Amino acid sequence: MATLNASDWDRNKAGILLQRAGFGGTPQEVDALAALSPAEAADSLLGPARLVSPEPPPFLEESGVEEALKAERAKMDSLPDPAKADAKREIAQYLRATQGRQITELRGWWLKQMAEPLRATREKLTLFLHGHFATSFEKVRSPSLLYQQNSLFREKAYGMWSDLVLGVAQDPAMLIYLDGAKSRAEAPNENFARELFELFTLGEGNYTEKDIQESARAFTGWGIGFSNGKKGGLQRGAHPSFKNVPKWHDSGSKTIFGETGNFDGTDVVRLTLAQAAAPRWITQKLWRFYAGWPAPEPLLQELVREWQSLRGEIRPFLMAMWTNPNFYDPVRAADRVKSPAEWLVGLCRQIGRPLPAPALSAHILNQLGQNLFEPPNVKGWDGGIAWINTASISRRYEYGSWLVEGTQGLQKLSSLNMAKMAGESGLMKMSLPEISPEGMVTRHGPKDMDPVEKRASLEKMRDAVALSPAPVGGITTSEERQSPEKLLAALSTRFLSGETIPEDLRARFQQAAGEKIPFTDAAVRKMILAIVQSPLYQVT
Amino acid sequence: MNNHELKTRREFLRTGLLGGSLCWTLPAFLSRTMESLHAQADGALVQGVTGRDGNILVVLQLAGGNDGLNTVIPIGNDEYRKARPTLGLPDSSILRIDPQTGLHPSLSGLASAYQDGHLAIVQGVGYPNPNRSHFRSTEIWATGVDSDKSSTTGWIGRYFDNACSGCDASVGIAMASQLPQSFTASTPKGVLYQGGGGAKKKTSKKKGAADADGSMMAMEDDEDGGEAGGSIGMLNGSGNLGHLSALDFLERTEMDAKVSQQEIAKASAKAKNSVPYPGSRLGQNFAMVSRLIAGGMPTRIYYLSLGGFDTHTQQAGAHERLLKDMGDSVAAFLADLKAQGNLGRVTLMTFSEFGRRVKENASGGTDHGAAAPLFLAGGGVKPGLLGQMPSLAPQDLWDGDVKYNTDFRSVYATILEKHLGVKSEPILRKSFPLLPAYG
Repeated sequence: MATLNASDWDRNKAGILLQRAGFGGTPQEVDALAALSPAEAADSLLGPARLVSPEPPPFLEESGVEEALKAERAKMDSLPDPAKADAKREIAQYLRATQGRQITELRGWWLKQMAEPLRATREKLTLFLHGHFATSFEKVRSPSLLYQQNSLFREKAYGMWSDLVLGVAQDPAMLIYLDGAKSRAEAPNENFARELFELFTLGEGNYTEKDIQESARAFTGWGIGFSNGKKGGLQRGAHPSFKNVPKWHDSGSKTIFGETGNFDGTDVVRLTLAQAAAPRWITQKLWRFYAGWPAPEPLLQELVREWQSLRGEIRPFLMAMWTNPNFYDPVRAADRVKSPAEWLVGLCRQIGRPLPAPALSAHILNQLGQNLFEPPNVKGWDGGIAWINTASISRRYEYGSWLVEGTQGLQKLSSLNMAKMAGESGLMKMSLPEISPEGMVTRHGPKDMDPVEKRASLEKMRDAVALSPAPVGGITTSEERQSPEKLLAALSTRFLSGETIPEDLRARFQQAAGEKIPFTDAAVRKMILAIVQSPLYQVT
Repeated sequence: MNNHELKTRREFLRTGLLGGSLCWTLPAFLSRTMESLHAQADGALVQGVTGRDGNILVVLQLAGGNDGLNTVIPIGNDEYRKARPTLGLPDSSILRIDPQTGLHPSLSGLASAYQDGHLAIVQGVGYPNPNRSHFRSTEIWATGVDSDKSSTTGWIGRYFDNACSGCDASVGIAMASQLPQSFTASTPKGVLYQGGGGAKKKTSKKKGAADADGSMMAMEDDEDGGEAGGSIGMLNGSGNLGHLSALDFLERTEMDAKVSQQEIAKASAKAKNSVPYPGSRLGQNFAMVSRLIAGGMPTRIYYLSLGGFDTHTQQAGAHERLLKDMGDSVAAFLADLKAQGNLGRVTLMTFSEFGRRVKENASGGTDHGAAAPLFLAGGGVKPGLLGQMPSLAPQDLWDGDVKYNTDFRSVYATILEKHLGVKSEPILRKSFPLLPAYG
């Protein structure tokens, strides 16, 4: 495949790569990449082929929840009817609140990994895989199973595509999400087989309804089970794991893609990935995700050849993509829209502020259309210009102002449901309802809290989500603060990778800082905000 | 919209008149400056086509594939009983429309709309060579082309192109997470509206202020929609840039956002709902649409979506809740429009990308199917049953699914011609027989 000459490598391209491969970064990081060759730059961003595992989120260590629930459920069964319904509802609410708190923690945890410069590239790929093999909390409900799937993506991200697809086919969250866990020989469920072909590996038109039905039969037997005999649960060690159950499997003969045999799920994955459509599908999706536009036919063929010669190994394929001259095509340079996660993490890194509290970060991403662990459907996020609509662009601009200028006062925060956030952050934790033998059900939710205590936790929550103005002291030198041109030059290097700014936008940015020289921190922030609140900042 | 106009909009934007110094918080949309600037823009951009008293279409997408057979149900039908041993509804619970046909028991809202003469049921709606993929089938419904063809524009988008080329983006409003694929036009149109509207905001604000412990209650709606968990939530098509670059598109959207947010806030603040709506997201969205209509928005197409219909497992309870939400919301909406005097101007059309398999599966659910019924409601709609209830006899099924007898584009054509008053052939690219759905 064509590769970029070292002589064509410059700061501008390094900035593009830093943004697209990961979540963007500081001018210093761009400089460091620009000093390398294109291949060295790509390799250094990718980092080691083997994963250095991050510290897992603390909620996985929570214990006792399941035992307690079990005891409550046992009590519940002996209650008279009206009280039983009460108890059932209370326990369901408790479970829901606990799951909500844990998923918020997981979202915050993942964003933190994305914001780590040395992890950013692998996390970006993990984000791609999450959208590709979309699986939603809405149906799965178990934060720990979603964490497990997320870890699978991270772990296998750089390896062979076939290992990843097989891993996903046996992943408990996926088995729940696409109903594989409920599929039995006598009534195979077609959901997973259909999406495996249509969305994960081949694309529409490259298989028949018959292939789906037969593959669904082959996948029967792959389910989830509890190795230690427990049922359901939030506690570590009590999570279901993949289980191959021969008595659920349809061991009859199947014909899939023209081949006949007593196939199982592993065979289906092998037969599927051998289809001519398979390398085209995944290479096009990777190209679109990273470059922002679909590869035209000749380029796609080049990508497919590269993929085949690498036998579907992902890390070297990314290297090849990122050193391909087309990746930096100046005509398409502004055609890639940043995803909300990329926008949020990137902006925080560029202005040198920590990410907002998990509950607020999660809220922002949800409002911008990318609720992590809760993609809109099994197709994942469409991405590209689908991120942008009249509602989401207003919100990008609004949240941009929070991150740059802070949330001074209560006015901005008034659009937030503080009580909900306090629940999600564990500041107003729900405890198990108490059920007396007489059938009295006492709930311990936020509504039943002591008013003084409640007020205090809401106050704490407000403090936790409040954002101070961005610390711009270190971003610009005193010399740069002497003229609007110099200030804009410095800020556009940082925020726009030195892209050419149209004259009218340039005027809009410069006016934003006002006329008082030298520019104060507040004036610098005004100019940053004008940049962030422009169409140009939304693309890379 | 032609290039000249686009250029003007861009200049308008870039000169900073609207963008430059304004602070981008939501209250800024309401600022005086915006209002007067918008008045200028209004005059230039809105043309006669979008009169404030024109007819309106409200599209309700039931995403995921609604089980048509358990929505409009054959009464006393042995094949139905045989195919649905656990999911089949007992004849006694079915809300009768005629001796052979009835509605799901949780659709009492629609049953009373039928009694009032505001509901038509079109049976057996589908298309030749049905596709069982959610995405492809949604795309077929959205683009309105044959199932073996594709199109870069949607049927509603082509309506915009044909009938309202000069009007503002808010000629179409979608309350969803993305613009629906059916809105895709050669000249981008349509705005997205999400979350708490003007009137609702005000109430919550008051409530917040009165709240003794001073907790800040959400003005935006709660995210925990908690739709009965299917893997298919809201289904939306990806956008189509047409001739625009991503950057141009961003500029356009920025502009549309500023103008339409203000329009919407103004219109919705003018009107009040006169009936209570369900507290669900769908109910609240219908309440908002009603206020926008009463407030005089020049919008011709509203698009709402309810997800969760992909009921492969444990269908009964989930389907019942979804239908109840739909039926009650629609009933409130119709009553509200009637009180406003706008019922005659509005047609509501429901649709789903496909129905479900006749035979239930072993997980208490149903798999992807083909044809299904849809509802038309409104003051101008002639009440009754249109099309035929498809035969459920095994030899009449296509691969286990009911066969269509009414092409969905006949429904579109009827609405375009009889309700929106435009020629359907340029929009649907073919001529389709009209249904006797209007008096």
